[in-house]
Amino acid sequence: MSQDPDVHFAAQRPARVRVQAPADAAVDLQVPSAEHSAENFYVRQLIRSQLRLAVSVASGIIVLLVGITVLLSYWPQISQITLARIPLPWWILGLGVYPLILIAGVLYNISAVRNEKRYRSIAR
Amino acid sequence: MMAVFSLLTLLVVCLATVLVAVHGLRLSRTTSDFYVASRTVRPWWNASAIGGEYLSAASFLGVAGLIVVSGQSGLWFPIGYTAGYLMLLLFVAAPLRRSQAYTLPDFAQIRFASLPLRKLTTYLVVLICLLYIVPQMHGAALTLSIATGLPGWVGPLIVAAVVCLTVVSGGMRSVTFVQAFQYWLKLAALVIPTVLLLVRIIPGNDPGMRVQQLSERMGDGGSLGLYETISIIIALLFGTLGLPHVLVRFYTNPTGQAARSTTVIVLGLLSIFYIWPVALGVLGRLYTPEHHAPGNADATVLLLPQWIFDGWAADVLTAVVVGGAFAAFLSTTSGLVVSLAGAVSQEFFAGTVRGFRISTVIATVAPLLVAALTSSLALAGAIGNVFAFTASTICPLLLLGIWWRQLTSIGAMAGMLTGAVSCALALLVSGLLAESESVLAALLRQPAAWSVPLAFVVTVLVSLTTAKRVPRNVDRILERLHVPERSTLSD
Repeated sequence: MSQDPDVHFAAQRPARVRVQAPADAAVDLQVPSAEHSAENFYVRQLIRSQLRLAVSVASGIIVLLVGITVLLSYWPQISQITLARIPLPWWILGLGVYPLILIAGVLYNISAVRNEKRYRSIAR
Repeated sequence: MMAVFSLLTLLVVCLATVLVAVHGLRLSRTTSDFYVASRTVRPWWNASAIGGEYLSAASFLGVAGLIVVSGQSGLWFPIGYTAGYLMLLLFVAAPLRRSQAYTLPDFAQIRFASLPLRKLTTYLVVLICLLYIVPQMHGAALTLSIATGLPGWVGPLIVAAVVCLTVVSGGMRSVTFVQAFQYWLKLAALVIPTVLLLVRIIPGNDPGMRVQQLSERMGDGGSLGLYETISIIIALLFGTLGLPHVLVRFYTNPTGQAARSTTVIVLGLLSIFYIWPVALGVLGRLYTPEHHAPGNADATVLLLPQWIFDGWAADVLTAVVVGGAFAAFLSTTSGLVVSLAGAVSQEFFAGTVRGFRISTVIATVAPLLVAALTSSLALAGAIGNVFAFTASTICPLLLLGIWWRQLTSIGAMAGMLTGAVSCALALLVSGLLAESESVLAALLRQPAAWSVPLAFVVTVLVSLTTAKRVPRNVDRILERLHVPERSTLSD
């Protein structure tokens, strides 16, 4: 018996609409506190150091590859140097470049982790 | 006899693919499983799967074919395909994983909350996937008709049917297992014939004459000029990091650091793989009969066993290569179909599992029709063009979106449109023009060296002029992209 008024009320009430904010909406409302801007500074440092690392490894590889192209183009006689009768450029391009790319990747990976560890030890 | 053996291995590869997929089906239960394998895939599995997905018809058949046709210049393609992964490791792997984006359009949305940018990215992803699937279909047509004499449309039809079945039944989880398995299958399908061919050749009757020819036939510098070579290097280096089907894979890593480790393993797997097509290309250069039509260089890997062996040995080895080639078509196509269907279903079907299944059917049938209506280009070259297009469109959005806080959605859209229009126009015009040695023809044939910088410059300039539109939460977003997850602290 006592349920009746509740049911009556519930029927009158408009259906509930779940209001959800977009995942990032709260960010705009934050008041920039001193603590927050300090943390932001460390984040920017982290991004800068990771970018510097990535750009230096990338330019190393690009300079290497373009350098080989230019070398082969302006010094075609290099093909007369042979190893087991196969011209040197084939050894360089067919086999030699790959270990260098792999080493660059491994070294980058180690350094990137180090940058992140340093960030973690400074920020909090 | 060769046709029978080849059809048999083809059947085994297709059956194994479907079986592994069905095995995955029992494990995949939720929508999240379906899309992203619930992020429980281990780095080794994931790396094998990435390798399996990435090594397409262009790598399996195209690299050797290119070396036969253009000699030393052909060696740059596998180098570019590998070094492209280094770029991905350096600039994209960890931040993209941490962005929690599943696809490229998701990334655009998370970074800018801009619907127009999301739509533009979706359309480009759809276009790139289509352009990338079509050469796989051409490869399947070539392989099957050479090995069995069946008409050209049967190969693509088999690929489309198997891919549709595996993707619809299992989604991403089963695709991971399928692709990891296919990397090793492809590697074996090249290693076994190469080793046997070398064993046969080295103590052969005519080493003196062949070895004489070796330095003769490998002496010239290759058929590509300096500009074109550099342009190809740029296209492959910067195109890889925008490939939609490759990027989807990174979401299956648990953390950003796991994404990096996975990529390093992939670099190793690719380096090991590319030794073999290069070796087969060299053998092809030595043993291709004089009267062989140059247009069919992509079939070198398939034909080499017959040129060097005879009888049943040739038949069995050809069949092994056919199996590997179909593993390549199947794995790359299924990866692309997952991305394509993902993009289409998010855009038009609100991302439901049913929508994903409908989109999968669309994503396999559409390229099948395009492939039937177009004729095959050189595989490695066709894929190289897709890389140039990706490098001119997706690459600026990703690189600047991850590393530059002043990027605006208007700037990103302007850059992507500029890159897309200039690169596509150049490629179309050069396709219509006759072969020519002029500088202009080279600029149009290999546009990446100017279209990629152009896209970057336009992106940066337009972003700077619309500086007021930099998202207000940019600091928080970049923090999410670059700050390591808590869980990596413990190790």
